[in-house]
Amino acid sequence: MAFESLLAKKTRTLLSMLGIIIGVATVIAVFSVGQGAQESVNSQFRNLSANSILVMPNRGRGFTSSSKLKASDAKLLLSAEHLSSATGAVQGNAAVSFNSIDKNYEVVGVDQNFIIISNLTISQGRGLESEDVDRKANRAVIGATVVSDLFTAEQNPLGAEITVAGKKMEVVGVLKKLGSRVGMISVDEAVIIPNTTAEKSILGSRGQVMIATTVDSVDNTKAATTSITAILRAEHKLKVSQEDDFRIMDAGSMVAAAQESAKTMTALLTAIAAITLLVSGIGIMNVMFVTVAERTKEIGIAKAIGGKRADILSQFLLESVILSMVGGLIGMALGQAAIPIISYFNLISLASSWTGPIIGFSFSVLVGIFFGFYPAFKASRLDPVDALRSE
Amino acid sequence: MASEIAIKLEKVFKSYYLANGEEIPVLKGIDLEIKKGEFVAIMGESGGGKTTLLNVIGCLHPLSRGKYFLDGENIGTVKDDFTLAFIRNKKMGFIFQQFNLFSRFSALKNVALPALYAGLPAAEREAKARALLKSVGLADRAQHKPTELSGGQQQRVAICRALINNPEIILADEPTGALDSKSGLEVMEIFTNFKKQGQTVIMVTHTAEVAKYADRIIYLRDGQVLSENYQLKSAY
Repeated sequence: MAFESLLAKKTRTLLSMLGIIIGVATVIAVFSVGQGAQESVNSQFRNLSANSILVMPNRGRGFTSSSKLKASDAKLLLSAEHLSSATGAVQGNAAVSFNSIDKNYEVVGVDQNFIIISNLTISQGRGLESEDVDRKANRAVIGATVVSDLFTAEQNPLGAEITVAGKKMEVVGVLKKLGSRVGMISVDEAVIIPNTTAEKSILGSRGQVMIATTVDSVDNTKAATTSITAILRAEHKLKVSQEDDFRIMDAGSMVAAAQESAKTMTALLTAIAAITLLVSGIGIMNVMFVTVAERTKEIGIAKAIGGKRADILSQFLLESVILSMVGGLIGMALGQAAIPIISYFNLISLASSWTGPIIGFSFSVLVGIFFGFYPAFKASRLDPVDALRSE
Repeated sequence: MASEIAIKLEKVFKSYYLANGEEIPVLKGIDLEIKKGEFVAIMGESGGGKTTLLNVIGCLHPLSRGKYFLDGENIGTVKDDFTLAFIRNKKMGFIFQQFNLFSRFSALKNVALPALYAGLPAAEREAKARALLKSVGLADRAQHKPTELSGGQQQRVAICRALINNPEIILADEPTGALDSKSGLEVMEIFTNFKKQGQTVIMVTHTAEVAKYADRIIYLRDGQVLSENYQLKSAY
């Protein structure tokens, strides 16, 4: 009966469902964006242990200010309080070629400690050694994706000579596939070379410098940070009036900040979804009031032939629940269909989750019950004789 | 059997109230007894309270004052929707001047609706509805919507709907009022069958032609019973 009534007014039914459709699709989007943000935070920091402290250049706000931070500053930081290790890296993009294959990769200049500090595993060959760094050797350790891009299965990358930004380099090691990032480096797509080599001949001054350090205990993070600041300010000869030309980020506060921003985004989108569902609920209530008004005479007839208040209430309530439920299902389908499309265009990091569709659908049903109840209740309370008299 | 009382009204008053609180009395102390199996016509001028009386008997209106005995039980004070809906559903069958069918539903669904409210299983109510439609010659129109039926056919569908829960009392408000004379005649023939089946019929009409089918005519004027006229079938 409820289905027949809804089908009799197709356009109206569809229009009133639209709000719910958009609402539920938004809920699904919210959850996949939230989940996606959470996952990207996790993958970014998976390889970052809790006692890491990163130092990066801070170029300040003025035109003239520039950062004096160098990868080699890492050595100085070894004398800072509570630091157990420090490794300097310089990062940039460069053309890498082997045989006739030519591609752009992330080139990372590091010292001999980087691979150990970053928890990376060598699958073939060796890592970089202090000798390579000191002698500015043209040697490279390459990521798994680089290997599969440049070499065929039969070719052994070890000992091969690749060209990085026009300089010939010998491959001395291959990294195990990681599938995630270390800080800002996508390790699988990286060519890792001595930082001295990178600063001298490959990246020059266009490289992005980063110094990764580890503190002996998480409790000493604050003391270590103060010490690093003092050493670097002295080294960079900064006046008291000048800002730091570097930024210090400890792992805990970085993860917290990233999670905070992921949470803020989720909260914002949740608010949007809630408002959409609220508005769609009001739309449904409006449509149900119009429907009740149109069918006043029918309500009178139904009462005259023995329809109870409960029968009339449940019929109208069922109609609004069907309306919102079908809208919810369509919204669910649309939301789920949109995830791969959005992911394909790489607009925002998304992860499909079951929470989104389930919560979206449940809310659509709740909206139908909540906003359908009042019109249905009013319908059930109509005086039968007055209702019969209406046209 | 014939002396058993189906409906008894004692000093029944019914008033409407305007928005400004003004009282409009419609029924002013009706005393009435209707026996089981009796066919009663209510006549009288417009505004005399005929339809209001029928609605009071049909439990669509609460009384303002007085007593209403149905099968010996005073239901004039019953306010409970569940009980009133039960009486309208199982004890009474309503037939209206304008048929009042649901235009979206087929004839079959219209007839079956009161059985749905009574909680009958789908197969049973459909079988009953089909049998009733067949009995009034509409077996081949079961799937037609009201708009695809003539006035006479629509009224026959409405009669089937009134009968589906085997009510003891049939209430009809100008059942031939919207019909041509031939269809009206067909409808009245169905009404005379009700009496044969022992059903009590209370019919509002303003046409003497129609009223003559009844055993008794009650004249209302200004909310009161003016006279009760027992007819003899043989006189016509």
